Amino acid sequence: MLKYFASRMALALPTLIAVLFITFSLIAVSPFDPVKMMLAAAEMGLDNAENVARMREALGLDRPFLLRFTDYVQGLLIGDWGTSINGQRDVWRMIENGFPVSAQLGLAAAVMTALIGIPLGILAAVKQNSWIDYAIVAVTLVLRTMPVYVLAPVLLIVLVLQLKVMTVPRGWEGVFSSKAILPILLLTFGPLAVVVRQTRQAVLDVVSNDYVRTARAKGLSDYLVVARHILRNALIPIVTIMGFVTEGLIAGSIFMESIFAIPGFGSVSEAAFRGFDYPVIMGVTIVSSVLVILTNTIIDMIYPVLDPRVRLEG
Amino acid sequence: MTQTNAEPAGTGGAVTLPEVRRQRSLWGDALRKLVRNRLAVLGLAITSVLIFGAIFGPALAPYSYTQQHLLRTAELPSGDFWFGTDEIGRDMFSRILYGARTAVMVAAISTLISVVLGMVIGAAAGYAGGWIDSVILRITDITMSMPSILLAALIAATVKQPVINWAKNVHEQTGFPLFADVTWLDLVIVFGGLSLVFWPVYARLIRGQILSLREKEFIEAARASGVPALQIAMRHLMPNALGPVIVQLTFSFSAGMVLESSLSYLGIGIQPPQASWGNMISSNIGSWSYRPWLVVVPSLTLAIATLGVNFLGDGLNDALNPRSSTK
Repeated sequence: MLKYFASRMALALPTLIAVLFITFSLIAVSPFDPVKMMLAAAEMGLDNAENVARMREALGLDRPFLLRFTDYVQGLLIGDWGTSINGQRDVWRMIENGFPVSAQLGLAAAVMTALIGIPLGILAAVKQNSWIDYAIVAVTLVLRTMPVYVLAPVLLIVLVLQLKVMTVPRGWEGVFSSKAILPILLLTFGPLAVVVRQTRQAVLDVVSNDYVRTARAKGLSDYLVVARHILRNALIPIVTIMGFVTEGLIAGSIFMESIFAIPGFGSVSEAAFRGFDYPVIMGVTIVSSVLVILTNTIIDMIYPVLDPRVRLEG
Repeated sequence: MTQTNAEPAGTGGAVTLPEVRRQRSLWGDALRKLVRNRLAVLGLAITSVLIFGAIFGPALAPYSYTQQHLLRTAELPSGDFWFGTDEIGRDMFSRILYGARTAVMVAAISTLISVVLGMVIGAAAGYAGGWIDSVILRITDITMSMPSILLAALIAATVKQPVINWAKNVHEQTGFPLFADVTWLDLVIVFGGLSLVFWPVYARLIRGQILSLREKEFIEAARASGVPALQIAMRHLMPNALGPVIVQLTFSFSAGMVLESSLSYLGIGIQPPQASWGNMISSNIGSWSYRPWLVVVPSLTLAIATLGVNFLGDGLNDALNPRSSTK
């Protein structure tokens, strides 16, 4: 078991370094030049070729690509993530400020996804091939297919302009404020279909197993059969999809947060991409990739705990 | 894609003629199942309309996508302007049609590039095995561990300016007419970004198919009875591996449309004044509360288009998956 965990971690590390390298190389070919930018910002006519060359040397930017890459990674490790182009802010600070907000939204959405998705999935499986089943699968699929920037304005138009049940939620007042309801729901809609589908499939697969038939034959109530025998086995695919959920939340928050003026990680990413703010783009890409890699590694580690039949390839 | 064959075979399947011995092939079966699935037929219809709009849209559009009707800005849908006009007086219906062309072109070409890339690389991994296989697997792992929208956005945001500069340089030095107008390079960069996001899925799919099929009894039987390798590959391996690939094609087609819109929404995909559903949503979202139709029209178009393609994909999945044949 320990050996398996160690090998999983050993796989995650090179992946991480490769992601860093790809990101760094892409930013290196971008038209972003920190030296010219800094000199231009000083506005004293300093950005002539000679000054640029001197500054480049002073900052070590004339050194080979690989050396600059290792420098950058060292910087990352001690918390020096560079400075943003638009506004000259510390990239790590921007991420540090935004991330907790998005993380709260994301966690709340993950909990909601599980709370709504699992019961719906079970219901769909129990009522297989009835209109309830079809309705659940179809509606969640529709919600999944629509990108957040489509759903958000359409929901706002329906809820605020047509039904007038709420005012426009803008800003951030904590995850339990009523302003967070719509953003959390929007983040839930994406992964919901996957949870529902996987739960439904898992339940259907398990139901046809002998031990469930035995449980039924013993006279256990449907509720007990579902709770004790089916749900437990259905946990495995649900763990799998937590990976999708993480990725969905990262991608979703990029489009969601600026619409609702939530000062989170997604707003930072969106502003970075819109403004071609390369140091920030690099920062958010790295943080997101680390998140995804970590989630996948953790999922792989949970598998053998949930299901002893999963073979451990060390 | 299968639209032209669908009608005759569909009616043929519904009217059962006892005197005609029905030969049931894999594809005939799949088609029958697809036609019986109502959602899939709806999906097929939507996809056909979408592709029709993409091909003939510019010919059908009542106005040009850049033509401004300056006296009639931000109008509600009317007889003159079916979907209304936007804030600078452009006809929304025409822009939606041109946007369909952008969406379909990006989705189709990036899917095509990634499927070819993925098939070649995946087949190489599956056949070669050994260290080539593990290197390729690692590369797909790495690409798949970056959130797809971020990877595509990163590529679009960083590579675009250098490529445009390069094209301008080439044009200045050689007068090569292709690079005189660089707006089409936006498209090329989006194709590239999306293809790089999609290919690992195909590579893994093909590799997995090859690995599992290679050991199947019927392949072994063919090999034992002396069928040449190429014929085995073409007649036995390909048709069996093709089903999952076709299903995946429809899903990456719809994902491609959404990603193109997402990139354009973020302002790093298709640049205005070119029409893309994503940049139409993005440029109108600020005024959703007083001009809601400007947001609703491109949003619903994108939603219906992706849903349609996904329904078709789900239908194909059920139809081509032999395990669901009992249903």
